[in-house]
Parts: sequence; structure tokens; C-alpha cells
Amino acid sequence: MPEIIIDNVRYEYEQPGKVLQFMLDQGLDLPYFCYHPSMSIPANCRQCLVKAGTPIVDRETGKPELDEDGNPKIRYFPKFMTACSLDMSDGMVVHTHVTSEEVRRAQADNLELILINHPLDCPICDQAGECPLQILTYKYGPEGSRFEHKKVHKPKRIQLGPRVVLDAERCINCTRCTRFTEEISKSNQLTIVARGDKNYPMTAPGETFDDPYSLNTVDICPVGALTSADFRFKARVWEMAQTPSIDITNGKGCNVDLWTRDNLVLRITPRYNKEINDHWMPDEGRMAYRQMNENRVSKPEIKLSASEHSKTSWNNALMTFVEQIEAHKPEEILVIGSPHAPVEDNFLLQQFFNKLGVSDTLFSPHITPGKGDDFLITDDEAPNTNGCRMLGLGEIDKKKLEAELKSDKYKMVVILTDDLFGRYEIEPSITEGKFTLTFATNYNATTKAADLIIPVTCSAEHTGSYVSVDGRIQRTLPAKETLYSNRRLNLEMSLSRLDHFGTKFDNWVSDRNRIDCIPAWEFLVRTAYEMNLKLGFESSREIMAKISDELPALNGVTYERMDEERGIQLDLKQIPAENVS
Amino acid sequence: MADTYEFSKEELEQIEKIKSKYPEVQSAVMPVLWLAQDKFGHVDSDVQKLVADTLGLPRAHVHGVATFYTQYYKEKMGKYVLDVCGSFSCQVCGAQEIIRHLEEKLGIKEGETTEDGMFSIREVECLGACGYAPMLQVTNDKYVNHLTKEKIDKLIEDLKAGKEPEFESMPVVYHQTSDS
Amino acid sequence: MAQDWKSFKPVLIPNIPDLAKIDVYEKNGGYSAIKKILTDDKWDSQAVISEVKEANIRGRGGAGFNAGMKWSFMPEPDGGPRYLAANGDESEPGTFKDRKIFEFNPHLFIEGCLIAAYAMKIDAVYVYIRGEYREFINMMDKAIEDAYKKGYLGKNILKSDFSVDMYTHSGAGAYICGEETSLMESLEGKRGYPRVKPPFPAQKGLWGRPTTINNIETLANVPHVINNGASWYKSIGPENHPGPVLYGISGHVNKPGVYEFPAGMKITDLIHEVCGGVRGNKGIKAIIPGGASTPPIRGDVIDGVTMDADGLREVGTLMGTAGMLVLDEDTDIVDVITRISHFFDHESCGQCTPCRDGTGWLYKLMSKINNGEGEMRDLDLLIDVCNKMEGRTICALADAACWPVRNAVERFREDFEAKCKKTVYAVA
Repeated sequence: MPEIIIDNVRYEYEQPGKVLQFMLDQGLDLPYFCYHPSMSIPANCRQCLVKAGTPIVDRETGKPELDEDGNPKIRYFPKFMTACSLDMSDGMVVHTHVTSEEVRRAQADNLELILINHPLDCPICDQAGECPLQILTYKYGPEGSRFEHKKVHKPKRIQLGPRVVLDAERCINCTRCTRFTEEISKSNQLTIVARGDKNYPMTAPGETFDDPYSLNTVDICPVGALTSADFRFKARVWEMAQTPSIDITNGKGCNVDLWTRDNLVLRITPRYNKEINDHWMPDEGRMAYRQMNENRVSKPEIKLSASEHSKTSWNNALMTFVEQIEAHKPEEILVIGSPHAPVEDNFLLQQFFNKLGVSDTLFSPHITPGKGDDFLITDDEAPNTNGCRMLGLGEIDKKKLEAELKSDKYKMVVILTDDLFGRYEIEPSITEGKFTLTFATNYNATTKAADLIIPVTCSAEHTGSYVSVDGRIQRTLPAKETLYSNRRLNLEMSLSRLDHFGTKFDNWVSDRNRIDCIPAWEFLVRTAYEMNLKLGFESSREIMAKISDELPALNGVTYERMDEERGIQLDLKQIPAENVS
Repeated sequence: MADTYEFSKEELEQIEKIKSKYPEVQSAVMPVLWLAQDKFGHVDSDVQKLVADTLGLPRAHVHGVATFYTQYYKEKMGKYVLDVCGSFSCQVCGAQEIIRHLEEKLGIKEGETTEDGMFSIREVECLGACGYAPMLQVTNDKYVNHLTKEKIDKLIEDLKAGKEPEFESMPVVYHQTSDS
Repeated sequence: MAQDWKSFKPVLIPNIPDLAKIDVYEKNGGYSAIKKILTDDKWDSQAVISEVKEANIRGRGGAGFNAGMKWSFMPEPDGGPRYLAANGDESEPGTFKDRKIFEFNPHLFIEGCLIAAYAMKIDAVYVYIRGEYREFINMMDKAIEDAYKKGYLGKNILKSDFSVDMYTHSGAGAYICGEETSLMESLEGKRGYPRVKPPFPAQKGLWGRPTTINNIETLANVPHVINNGASWYKSIGPENHPGPVLYGISGHVNKPGVYEFPAGMKITDLIHEVCGGVRGNKGIKAIIPGGASTPPIRGDVIDGVTMDADGLREVGTLMGTAGMLVLDEDTDIVDVITRISHFFDHESCGQCTPCRDGTGWLYKLMSKINNGEGEMRDLDLLIDVCNKMEGRTICALADAACWPVRNAVERFREDFEAKCKKTVYAVA
């Protein structure tokens, strides 16, 4: 197998490739700014310079020439090479800052040059704390600067588009953003303008950077030149906890990180998953943080009049639910699952009412034809349509749904977290005379119509599994506490500096942001207990274990595997195709 | 109100001809920017937009190209743009005095345009006339070589009268003995 | 030198009136080289490349690389298009020679392109000319049009099965587009950013296809090599750097201009014999022999120095484009170098960090010193900034920006020191 010697250590490699990527794959460190594994290689930042050479091959024998010690003689390239663009070759020798003082100095030199026109306004820059320029300067940079002239001035606080703000002075011209719009999102909305040290990225005059993927440029900007208009000045990165999750605003299942501080989700960024979203996500998915924080139903509510609800105790809510179930025959209860809720909740809803003798659990897919693109936005606006299908939930469209809601057959309606009334613009009067219960995360048209509202956790608060349009099952982890969960006890929750060191008595921590809600499955388990139904589960993990036992399509699916394998690709053939009746 | 710009039928035919020179339409950006600048006198953002839309290319792309090359006027300039070469051959032959003289004469500074919109003065980099220094170029076109204050005065008078300089052929010099 | 320069008869731009007209060119033996190649079976493409390689035409654009060797890098045809780009960007301060070919002998250049196209199986030739040369572009367009009319360009040239098209492409003010990969980007309608090599243009050039880039003057040499043979060509000028050269001489000489002489002319002959000496009979402070990027040398080292790669290497400078600037003894060398630094700062494309920020830093430091505000330590800093830039970028513009500064600080140290403030540091 061909091999490459990096800092006197031999590595074998199978696939041809570039030196920098190989080093990163090996966990080796080399500073760089412009390189991005998913885009073309411009080699323009010049930060990953290494000293490299190849063995001198004897022309006659075709074998490497050896020195006195029997080692191959190396012919070094006359100049330092950028590791990002350097192809590996058998026997290649690479020296980085680890073994070459010259390279170490070259890296410091390059940083000194990058910094001469950089404003060094880290204390007021959003990027500080997660800034490659800041980090690499600390690690590899010079002690100070000898540049004693006026820096080049460029435009600041330019609203490039609805979601992205530019500070051109911070820009180091790595061209990641322009390459992104050319090669990845293909909107071609950005270009570098001007020349030399006056250049910076910009849109065409009068054009707005409204690319539906625009915020990815903020993620890949190695400095604070592009910042998120929404997240700007909201929080320091080191104050937030970072929790892996998935995008629940469409059916693609983009992997994301939820960034929380004091139990508020402050931003959502993409998390690398080669199989789904690579390093990217749509802007829309990032705005989901608002529905995780705002307009939340906290504590159960019961209807007083057509326009008025009242908070009620969990006990009262539970007893009301039990009373209503007992007052109706199974065939009088209409049960509707949700493509917005995880597999576990839908499963438990189905099981619970099965045990009561309700034969069918229905659901209505949330699909808007034409909304998607051929990248990461799907027509499907819900994250778990395929999960509902796998469980065998009956698929109904708007017309059928309205017919069912209207039907005299039913005296009681149960809706799992899905704003059916809102998204289908159904009049609340349609369920008049029926007892309507909805599980809900946020207030909406459906909660308005409901007689009983059970507040449930959202994807940022619970562990739940979702099956994407492509048949990939993945799960979320709790990122923000509810009134009943605790970061220090729930080992799945991530901790920030604030969480670690703050106490309840600190004025920057408040209980206000913890929602009084529980997972839908948990409410159903408690009800089952009350009604002596055998449906005992302690956690969503247990529920998933049960599902994977029962459903052949999910055999062998566990949370551990989902975590380790970054989601599990299911056999799409085992998922019933769309069958709207 | 912003000016509206469009290409005539003949110009669109010319653009098709330009496109046919290259295997890819993107290559036509520079020649079409030239065509537009010859017609409109500049390639400001609206003209850039017209070029992009005519060629079916991203507007940002055309903007990036237009701002990279210094001969494209990204804003309205004087009718006559006097590009005085400031690079070393001209520098050591008195380019700065020429610029100062022009500034005094026109009452504007380098980089500015006269109020009547007639003249702009720019100091530019080498124009490839080093043996004929100091020199200037009038609006991306004719070169005026071996400048003196008198020559400048005459040039300005001529331009004011609408008389543009003619092409001046600068012959290769043959060494006497080599031709004998 | 094999031939006395005084008896040398110019061949690139001979003294023939109206040679730019195609029939005059034909009457004077023009287009005979391409006719020879197309009719004589001896001249297959390999034979042409070998002859040109043997002649050792060293690229006249500045790098001085053997043109025939460059041609031999083109891969075997794979059925797809192949291109030749003729580099007439000519934007390096001190250089004004290619315009003479456009104006006075364009058909010689076209014929050179035809031979190159034949040898490398080229489908189209793009002549990239700097945008400021509007007049010369028009002249070239006219010459190309005439050549098409006479059947020297287009399909089945001279009724052979050899076909090639030729177009001009106007630049628009960017020195960097004289760099060959940047020129290709510009031809593709992009910002003129030099490309990372490898892949080299011969593998992946214009529109991803095999491409060779040659300077205008280089190509103009080719027909003579075919007509008279490589050995004739090599008999002109020094063996290691043969052929006629268009010397563009500017600055403080009595008769500046473009002159054609064999390579390897003595600098002193060029100044005193050819250009009629220094203006006002002054002494020579410095020579910048081949354009702004070539290191300046002191006037007191030029005796006996010849204008060829080896001769100039001996005094620590380069041939470049043979666009020589002569500076008299009264010249403020610091001022000249400052203006050179301004040029490179202005012309840096801004792609690579060391060049984008380094050229600006050099210019700011040079200005500071030139304005009398510099300190002695700034001279060391200048050298150090050069150290940080040289050899660290995609193309050679950063190197070109450093060489004049570095060498001027070393070679004209007293002039720099004279402009610096004499800071006295207290010793504790």
C-alpha cells in the first residue's frame, strides 16, 4: 500500500487524495482557512503551507535512490506547498510546524499578514470563541504585529440579505461564501468585488442575498465577516450548550445542533452528516428555534368558552381525559397521529387506543407540492411522515379529514401534536358537540378548537425518533429543560459553562424558560396506569426497543446504533408508499 | 429616476457574434461590457445588470468582473477621461508635473471630474508607452505621447472644441549603422 | 557573440514600409514558412516542435522558458478542442514592444501562430491584448480579417486539411492577466485570479482543455526558425539565449524607443550607441533591465554586462521583457521603488494572503520612508516583509513585488538611509 511520511511518522493510505484532508482524517493538526472539504480548492489563504518532497527515483532502475543510511533520498519542492492542494504520492515526505521550524515561521508570517488589515475587534465580534482566525492566531500566530499604518477600510454592517450581515473589514477573502453560492446552493448571488487588499464579497448592486441557504455562508465564514442578522449580538458562543438534533421543519432530516442558553434555543446550525446534508441546512430550519421558545403551551388547559381556555392541573387534565374515554365507546373515538411527532409518540398513541379497542389511528401528511428543491428542502413539511406510514397509520387528506371530523360517528377526537385546523384552515365549529383533545407544543388554531390541551415537549426537549423522506431514522436529544427534567440528572443533556457553574440563585439563570410539559407518550403511559391498561414504559428508549421488536422494518434499530451510525438507513420498500385515500 | 438602458437590434446581433467566438457564453462578459461602455459611456450597476441579463449570466458574476478590471467605469465619468500614466518610466520623465498641470488647468484633483462633466483626471498604471513618456490616454482610446505643458494646453483646447486626438504611430527606431 | 550587432538586420520588425499590409508581407516572403510546412511531408508536427525546441527561443514574456519545450508538453490529441493563447497583455512597466508587432508586422505573428497551431494541433488561437491597446487591437483585427480572406486562417488552410481559427480578446486593465493562468480565467470571462498549478495549462487550460500560452514576440520568432533553421537562429546572439530581441528602452536616454537587436547586447552599447547616451550626459544611477519586477542594478556595475539570462544573472537581475529603464545620477531611487510598490499593490489580484496584504504593507512602508518619516528599522522590516511574501503565493506577482524592493534596499542602501530619520535610542 502506498505510504506518506508526515513529521517522520509513516502512514499508509488507500485512496489518492490531498495531504491536508488526509491529515485531518488522521486527526493531525494543520492550520487552514479557505479549504472546505465539500468545495473546490482555491489554495488562496496560504495558511496550510508545508515543506514537502518526493523520493528521487533512479531513471535506470526505476527505484528510489538511497542515502548512506539506506533511506530514500528526498527531493523537496523548491517552495512550500499548500497541503490542501497537494496530491499525496507514494513515499512523499511532509514536514509541518511539528518538525520544521521554517514551516512554523511561515505559518506565523502568514497570520501576521492576514491580521494587518483585520480589525481585531474580537470583543464585539459574534464569531469570537468559534473563530478559526482567533483560534489559529492563538495557536500559530506571532506575538504581536509590526504593522504601524492605517488599515484598509471597507464597508461595515451591510445587510447583504434578509438573514446575513457583512462586515467587509473582517473578511480575509477565503472565498468560501462565494464558492458556496456557486458550487453548493448554485444561486450565484455572491461575488468578490474590487481587487487586491480592497476586495470583499458582495452581491450585485441592488440584489439581495436571499438564497434559501444563505446562512450556511455564516457557518463557513472563518471570521466574523458574515454574521446572522437574527443571532447577531444575542450570545457568546461559550455561554451556550450545543446539543445534536435534527431539523424538524421538513422531511429531509438535516442533522443540526441546537445551541441553548438558560433553556432557550438561541440558534440552530447544521451538523455534518455525509449521508444527508453534508455540512449544510436550509435557512428555514434555523428559524425553528423560535417555535421552540415562543408561544409555548405550558401547563394543561381546559376550554371554558369558545374563546377562552383556563390552565388546569395535570391531575385534573388526566382525570378529564379518563372520564371522556370511559364515557365513549371505542368506535366513537377518532384518533389522529402526527407526522410532526416522533415515532415513539405515534406508536404509543396507536397502542393506547388499540388497547381500548379503537381499531384505526389516522394521520394526515403535511406535504406542499412544489415547495421542495432538489437539495435539502422537501415538499414534505413534517419530519416523520414515513414514521407514521411504517407504523401503519391510516393516511388521510384534507377532504377525508374534514369528513371524519364532521362525521356523527365520532363523539371524541384526539389529535397528536399537529395543527390540523391551522394548516387546513378548518373552522373550529366542525367539531362542535364532540370532545376534542389535542397534544400541543405551541398555541395554534387547533389548540383554540380543543376542549383539552395537553402541553407536550418539542424536539428540543425530548428524545424522539423521526424517519426522513429518504427512509433514514434518526433521533433528537433533549437540549432544553422542562419543569420536570434536569440537566445534571439527565445524562443525555449537554452542559454549557453557564450550566456548569451557574446556580439557581444567579441572576442570569431563570426558571421562566422551562416549560411545564411532558412527552406525549408519558401522558399516555400515566393515563394507561390510571385505567389499568398494561402500557408501562419508563423512557422513549424502552418504547423504541419495543417498536424494533414488533416492527420488522425497524428490527435491530436502537438509539445506540442511531447515535453511532448517524442515523440508520431503513429499507424504503418496507415503508408503505403514499396511499392517500 | 434611474436611466434605463437597452441594446439595439444591431448590438444584439453583434453580441451573438461575440458569443460565437467562444465555446462558453461566460467568455463574452468582457467584450460585451466593452460594447456597453462604448455605447453608454460607463458600466454602472444598471448597465452591468443589462449585460448579465442579456447574456443570461448571474448579475453578481458580471459585477465581480466589472469591478476587477480598472478600465470599466463603474460610475459616470467625464466625457474625456484623461488617464495619465504614473508608472516609473513616466514618473522619471515628469508625470507628476503633468498631473499637477492638468489639475490646475481643469480646477479638479486627480480622481475627480469637472463640474461640466467634460473631463476626469486619473493617474493610472503603465500604459505601455514607456519610451514616449510622459503620456496619457484619452477615454480608453488614443494615446498622447511626449507630453509637455504646451501639449496639454493644446489637447484641452482641442477636446473642448470636440476635436479628439488622432492615432500617433510611434515607429520602431532603426539604428543608423544597421540600415546603412 | 556570433554576430556584430551593428551589422544586424532586423527580422521581427524589418525596415519595410507597409509591412503590416498582407500583400506587402507576402511579397517579402511572408507566409512561406506555413506554406513550406503544409506542403512538405518532412514537416510533421513533431518535426516542427523539434526544430523550435532546438532553436531554443526563450519566452519573451519574462520567464524565458524554451518555447518548443513548452509546446512538447501538450498531450496527445483526444478528439476534443485544444487552444493556443497568445499573450499580448504587455502591462509590466517598462514594456512596450508587442505593440510594435501588432502595428508593424502582425502577419509575422499570425504566421507564427499558424505554425504553433499546426505543431500542437490547435483548434483556435485567442490573442489576448491589453484593453488600453485599443488601436493595436483594431490593427490586429484587421490583419486577422485579411488573413482569413486570403485563406491563411479558417477551414482547410491553403487547401490542406489543417484548420484553425483566430480571435482577439481585449483585456480591461489588469496587469495580473499577463500571468498565463490568470489570462485564461480572463478569457473565460472571470476575474483574473491565477490558478493553482498543477494542473498545468497543457493538461487543463482554457475551458478545461489542453492549452499553450506564448508571448506575442515569442510567436513572431517562429516563422524565421522554420524558414532559416534552428542553427541560423542560434547563430544570433548568445548560445544560451539566442535570437533577435525587441529592446524597449525608456527613461533618461536621449533616444528612447523599441530597437531590434540580437540578444546579449551590452547594456552600455544600448545606452550609449543605440539610444544616444544619457540625457544631459549625466552618469547612470541605476538600470532596471526587464520591467518593474526585475531587480534594479547599480549604474557602476553595468560595464560589460550583456542583456541575456546568463549575463544578467551575474549581476543579480533578470532579462524579463527586455524593457529597460535607465535612471540618471539625479534620480531619487527611493521614489522610483515606491512607485513600483504602488504598482504591485494596485495590481495584486487579492487572491492570496501574502500578496494581497503584503504588497499593501510594502507600499505603505516605502511611502513612509519616501516621505522622510521612516526609521532605520523600517529597512529591516521591508526585507522581512519580503521574506514573508516570496515563494508563498499561487503566482509570481508577490515575488515580482519583492525583488525590486529587496534589491534596492541592499544595493542602494545609502539612498534609503539618507531618507530615514536617525532615531537615537537611549541606552539604559
